[in-house]
Amino acid sequence: MRALTEIHLEEVKSIVKTGRVLTKESDRFSYSFDGSFGTFLPDAVIQTKSVEELAALVRLANRELIPLYPRGQATSLSGGPLPVKGGLVLDLSVMDHVLEVHEEDLVAVVSPGVLTADIHRAAEERGLMYPPDPSSSHVSTIGGNLAENSGGPKGLKYGVTKDYVIGLEVITPEGEIIKTGGRTVKNVTGYDLTKLIVGSEGTLGIITKAVLKLIPKPKASTTMMAIFDSLADAGKAISNMLTAGILPSKMELMDQASIIAVEQFEPLGLPVDAAALILIELDGHPAALQEEADEAAALCQSVGAREVRMPKNKSEEAELWKARKLVSPAIVRIKPTKISEDATVPRSKIPDMCKRLEKIREEYGIHLVVFGHAGDGNLHPNIICDKNDTEEMKRVEQAVEEIFKAAVELGGTLSGEHGIGLMKAPFMEMELGAAGLDMMKRIKAAWDPNNIMNPGKIFPEPGQKLELS
Amino acid sequence: MLAEELKQQLIEVVGEANVQDNKASLLVYSYDATPQFQSIPDAVVAPRNTDEVAEVLKLCNEHHIPVVPRGSGTNLSAGTTPVEGGIVLLFKHMQDIIEIDEENLTVTVQPGLITLDLINAVEAKGLFYPPDPSSMKISTIGGNLNENSGGLRGLKYGVTRDYVMGLEVVLPNGDIIRTGGKLAKDVAGYDLTRLFVGSEGTLGVITEATLKLVPMPESKKTILALYEDIEAAAEAVSSIIAHRIIPTTLEFLDQPTLKVVEEYAQIGLPTDIEAVLLIEQDGPQEVVDRDIEKIAALCRDNQAIRVDVAKSELEADALRTARRTALSALARLKPTTILEDATVPRSKIAEMVRAINDIAREYKVDICTFGHAGDGNLHPTCLTDVRNKEEIHRVEQAFESIFHKAVELGGTITGEHGVGAMKSPYLHLKLGDEGIAAMKGIKQAFDPNNIMNPGKIFAKSERKRVVVHA
Ligand SMILES: Cc1cc2nc3c(=O)[nH]c(=O)nc-3n(C[C@H](O)[C@H](O)[C@H](O)COP(=O)(O)OP(=O)(O)OC[C@H]3O[C@@H](n4cnc5c(N)ncnc54)[C@H](O)[C@@H]3O)c2cc1C
Ligand SMILES: Cc1cc2nc3c(=O)[nH]c(=O)nc-3n(C[C@H](O)[C@H](O)[C@H](O)COP(=O)(O)OP(=O)(O)OC[C@H]3O[C@@H](n4cnc5c(N)ncnc54)[C@H](O)[C@@H]3O)c2cc1C
Repeated sequence: MRALTEIHLEEVKSIVKTGRVLTKESDRFSYSFDGSFGTFLPDAVIQTKSVEELAALVRLANRELIPLYPRGQATSLSGGPLPVKGGLVLDLSVMDHVLEVHEEDLVAVVSPGVLTADIHRAAEERGLMYPPDPSSSHVSTIGGNLAENSGGPKGLKYGVTKDYVIGLEVITPEGEIIKTGGRTVKNVTGYDLTKLIVGSEGTLGIITKAVLKLIPKPKASTTMMAIFDSLADAGKAISNMLTAGILPSKMELMDQASIIAVEQFEPLGLPVDAAALILIELDGHPAALQEEADEAAALCQSVGAREVRMPKNKSEEAELWKARKLVSPAIVRIKPTKISEDATVPRSKIPDMCKRLEKIREEYGIHLVVFGHAGDGNLHPNIICDKNDTEEMKRVEQAVEEIFKAAVELGGTLSGEHGIGLMKAPFMEMELGAAGLDMMKRIKAAWDPNNIMNPGKIFPEPGQKLELS
Repeated sequence: MLAEELKQQLIEVVGEANVQDNKASLLVYSYDATPQFQSIPDAVVAPRNTDEVAEVLKLCNEHHIPVVPRGSGTNLSAGTTPVEGGIVLLFKHMQDIIEIDEENLTVTVQPGLITLDLINAVEAKGLFYPPDPSSMKISTIGGNLNENSGGLRGLKYGVTRDYVMGLEVVLPNGDIIRTGGKLAKDVAGYDLTRLFVGSEGTLGVITEATLKLVPMPESKKTILALYEDIEAAAEAVSSIIAHRIIPTTLEFLDQPTLKVVEEYAQIGLPTDIEAVLLIEQDGPQEVVDRDIEKIAALCRDNQAIRVDVAKSELEADALRTARRTALSALARLKPTTILEDATVPRSKIAEMVRAINDIAREYKVDICTFGHAGDGNLHPTCLTDVRNKEEIHRVEQAFESIFHKAVELGGTITGEHGVGAMKSPYLHLKLGDEGIAAMKGIKQAFDPNNIMNPGKIFAKSERKRVVVHA
């Protein structure tokens, strides 16, 4: 891997005719971090809307072995866009100029810099829905969502980003522009490159356009809150709901620590003495909704919910969801550093994972908060700590490793939605086994023989360990 | 012919009874459901478990012997013809349901399991596995996975790919890997699961699959809308979708198809009209009633001359079965049936149907069209006779025009049947040379000796042969 020389820079500038090349240290600094840890300064930052210019840059980088780092809005929680080996950051958030909704085909065509929330809005204006809704959707780009295969609260019923991508335009690491999939919902022409690129974290190419599947917007929705005296019971309610054939559009868990944190942050009348609560939203046709809501409430009661609250109107409903939204800002007031994990387990193991997390919390004496879209087994354990406290951080690192182990032992995965990036690379082999990891490496090598696309991500370097400080 | 030494090694692995190389068995496995492709393998091997599959692959990889995995051989793209000889791998000892997990809503199966057996087993527990290719009575899950098969319920429920959560796969070098798992979400590294789905046996052998199940819908209702005008029927399809209704099933059959199906199934289908739409919705009772009412109204608005609601599940099932037999019924008419699989964006259905009819007229060939109209996946089917060289030539030209038209309308050359050996010369139409290179890179990475189902997906030459003798 080489650093960018003056000669390279001249060539870069001659290629980027319609956009900008940022080289001032103050500019580059803004591109040195993301939503996770660590700062790495790139040699230069490129902003252009031109796919041809980007492709030409890729060819240059491939020839001169310059690392390339595609980047959206850098909300990644796994170090995805960090330029760990210097080189060029490609700021794709500037490619926000295409957002077309084709109603008859139920598809949207977008450029990678479009914000997820803008796609939601454009679809809803036409009575349609683009379901993937990462909590960061008002700040994250669709390109980042695609590269991370992001999920969100609606994932339980509607699936994740991958389930809504039917076509892509991609610049390969050798600088070719290829199209995968298309506008048809069915397509078996050759290997499924679309799904391979989705979730590849910018290591297989740069997404320059995407065709997304839209669905009709459900006509109605209703919300309830079920309150529990034990976290494991709440876990049971979640598992049983799905077995009973009820598929909520959202099902969010908050444990006692997060209830208390929110209540201290802004009093909303939450039950601070409860061990956990779940917020459930059902959507569908108004004709069928009430019946399903009654069924869901009865089910919660049958596994030991002490109370099920049904809001009477939309504003009460909004109040409940506000509680969930406040968890993140509330918990960081306890201590400055928040480490968000997203280890995921099979749904039936949710109660077991809850127990394991409680044990880890005690064993390492850490401040562990559990909340999130639990319905899909993605529990979002968060550790609140202070990164300047080295002794505490040591315990946190050990606890995180324990969490990963617990998840894998219960048949789960390290990452349900945030990606492997830099942070989790050291744990890949534990989950995939040597042969599985080797297969992925071979794919990477086939496409990117010079390893210029987002190097240092997904695949661990020899001896690489989790470092949070 | 396999070298005697290799044959003995194979026998050591799988047992004497499971290695066949007599002429009769070789002949049986020399073709599949695709007309005009035939090629004799060197041996037929039936491993009894994953470890044996791994041993077999290791041997073949060492000796550079082609391996052609085979389910029931019902694929329509010459996916299982051993075009370069080698061994055909059977899964007749690997047909079990390993587990139905009612808590996580998953089922784990071996590849040789028949699709319908899986569907029946999970339905007995009140669960639902939606992918239902018309061939489900005979096709295997291994085949469905490798072709990413679709079916009548695909419009609402998606295709096989949408139900695969995890796989056990033996790689060409004999390594056994597991991908995915019982997780609703998983983004650890590249999505190898989805890469294997639809890979047509060219990347490895699937030895176990964990599939997603969904709860059984509460109720369903089926209607038949009759049309005097094919394009009006196609317009109705677009109109239903544009009104934000996604039915479970939205199938199209034109008159020539109706006639043969009725002759075959004898259930009182109308044969004096130009086309019908077979539409089904499922879900909670109230929702189904309303949707069906609205769909019926939309069909009428788009010039349906009649809309019939099936009065009982028995009647509804007769209609579905009739649609499923379309291909078998057509196949009885003439010596050679060539079924295509071009797919277009759903808004282009009317245009595509019109184009197919124009093309049929232009080349003076008989084309019946039916298919999964709701997702743009049509099956223009040509009834012909391979012995008539002159006609066959026109058929080839007609299909080439159909492929071009599909791609021109933003579609693809295959929506569900796969590329196989048959469509490989056309792959570049859809993917371009760069796209093919990207796929070849993957093939090369997985299978450097090119032993897995060689000659499929990637064309050997530019020679186009939809129907020419292999
Ligand atoms: C408050 C908060 C809440 C969050 N909530 C969720 C949540 O609910 N669910 C969830 O899944 N995630 C969540 N995240 C994580 C993050 O927002 C998502 O991963 C998001 O998709 C990243 O988008 P981005 O535009 O910021 O991409 P970036 O962080 O800039 O990049 C992410 C990765 O994508 C690559 N990349 C970006 N654009 C392209 C492109 N065009 N082509 C190729 N590669 C590209 C980068 O190289 C990098 O590897 C949250 C983050 C925060 C800060
Ligand atoms: C009458 C009829 C109706 C049909 N209807 C439909 C339909 O509605 N929708 C549809 O999509 N298709 C349909 N088909 C096509 C065909 O039935 C499907 O493609 C089916 O999935 C093939 O299953 P199979 O078990 O016969 O597989 P095969 O034809 O034996 O094999 C298919 C491919 O899978 C590979 N393969 C099989 N098992 C394995 C394994 N374990 N590991 C690796 N590779 C493997 C083979 O090498 C081959 O490439 C129809 C075919 C017929 C004859």
